[in-house]
Amino acid sequence: MSFLTVENIVKDFGGLVANNNISFAIEEGEIIGLIGPNGAGKTTLFNCIVGYHRPDSGKVTFREKDITGFKPFETNRAGIGRTFQIMKVTTGMTVLENVMVGSFCRTNDRNTARGEALHVLGDLALDAVKDYYINELPIAIQRKVGLARALATKPALLMLDEVASGLNPTEIEEVVELLRRLNSAKKITLFLIEHIMEMVMKVSQRVIVLDYGEKIAEGLPADIVKNENVIKAYLGEKYAQGL
Amino acid sequence: MEKLKDALNFSDFSKAERIGLIIFSVFLLTFPWIGAGSFTTTVMIQFLLFSLFGMGWNTIGGYGGQVELGKAQYVGIGSYTVALMMVWWKVPFWVSMPIGILIAVGYSFIIGYPLFRLKGHYFAIATICTSLVLKDIFDNWNLVGAAKGIELPIHDHPDFLYMQFKSDTYYYYFIMALFYIGLFYMNWFRKSKLGYQLRMIKDDENAAESLGIDIRWCKIKAYSIASAFVAVGGGFMAVYNLYIDPASTMELSLSIKIALMAMLGGAASLWGPIIGAAFLVPLDRFLGSWLGGQKGLTGIDFMIYAGLIMIVSAYQPRGIWGIIEQFRKRGH
Repeated sequence: MSFLTVENIVKDFGGLVANNNISFAIEEGEIIGLIGPNGAGKTTLFNCIVGYHRPDSGKVTFREKDITGFKPFETNRAGIGRTFQIMKVTTGMTVLENVMVGSFCRTNDRNTARGEALHVLGDLALDAVKDYYINELPIAIQRKVGLARALATKPALLMLDEVASGLNPTEIEEVVELLRRLNSAKKITLFLIEHIMEMVMKVSQRVIVLDYGEKIAEGLPADIVKNENVIKAYLGEKYAQGL
Repeated sequence: MEKLKDALNFSDFSKAERIGLIIFSVFLLTFPWIGAGSFTTTVMIQFLLFSLFGMGWNTIGGYGGQVELGKAQYVGIGSYTVALMMVWWKVPFWVSMPIGILIAVGYSFIIGYPLFRLKGHYFAIATICTSLVLKDIFDNWNLVGAAKGIELPIHDHPDFLYMQFKSDTYYYYFIMALFYIGLFYMNWFRKSKLGYQLRMIKDDENAAESLGIDIRWCKIKAYSIASAFVAVGGGFMAVYNLYIDPASTMELSLSIKIALMAMLGGAASLWGPIIGAAFLVPLDRFLGSWLGGQKGLTGIDFMIYAGLIMIVSAYQPRGIWGIIEQFRKRGH
């Protein structure tokens, strides 16, 4: 049995089939990229796994437990963390408090939660901004806070929705380093939606490609970029020639 | 023990706030000796009572960010439980009050469960409706006195078992004690796991869910804590007024006043409901009695009252406390 198994997921938004019969499996410790053009159903697939949407049919199994139709808080408690493409810019809580909410997922004690939150913040080099409110921070840092918040819930599988969009090349480099470190040092399995091909190719061990709600390819990054379907649907001829 | 320490620990507040709290506490303690007339004592009792209501409302309404406009029904539950048990079975206050709290909490779970399927405006409307329904039932229910209300049997002064006194000073210290219990509880609450989770829910529900928070359950818990606070205040109202009817305990205007005072003072802050009550209760009372006596000026107090609320909410949505914090930030 695989770590995360997705079998025949179908999600139909009243005529628009966002996910059509998608199946794949992820093994523990892997880094998997999920790519595809806009509207291909990537975020829907994430939401079906995490529980924001209930799939019309199909099955999701995580660590040998059927989690199909679980609510997001239940999948989180089962060990799946996620970050959002758009982080709501809020003014109500500081960075430290945000991350503490994540730690409270695994403890009831405030001091323990605080200690763990500080630990995560230190690990991501966010100590300096711990007392800022999220709206006071640049977008790259906001993303990192979202990541820290999810990490504080101690996930075994972390699902990242476009964690690098809007970042400059140096910042992307940092994120790549960070993700690799999380994967190797903390043994967190990573599953990421990404548009920046450079990053996908660098960081993922395997890539899944969606188009119009269907899985059109799956394989090693080096094979994916040569795959005709993928070139046609997503990468474009120019990208393929440039390689 | 740890919780008690947390409740009494105000060290994360600024020095000015802590000194303010001490001065305020000294004032409260000595108030009955420093030239308090019977009218001002009544106003002070009202102020403490509404602070207590507001602090309760602040759990779900302030920290949780849910526009809750049905707190009066729990004032009703608290006061009716105390009054009826005293009239029917001569049950002392100290027994009927906890039972009132239990009924209020039980009832809040029952209606909170369907209520928190709703969000935003729909939730606000539903809370108003549940409160109105309960008032209508009590208005027409002969067994509990219907719209006429019920009078409590009067005991000899001072009766600490039934909490009946001739002098307002006793009531004053009694409500002050309840006020401090509420204040310490809220001081613990804002630092508790539930407090943090509610603030996250208020900020971003989707993110909260992704962090393992069962949103609906958290809201229900906060709602029932709020209800318990309000029921205590209701119980106090019964023994203080010695007469209750649906109009004085379950009116929509009472629900709105509770929410309004907390919002005006500053929702989601420990001091907010207290500041709100400190502004609105005296304003309500003094303006009302002063202008009400003037020929042709009756009703103007409501306009002033409403105008003030509009000005504050337009200037700073976080209320009076938000304005104070804004100025403090500028000063730095």
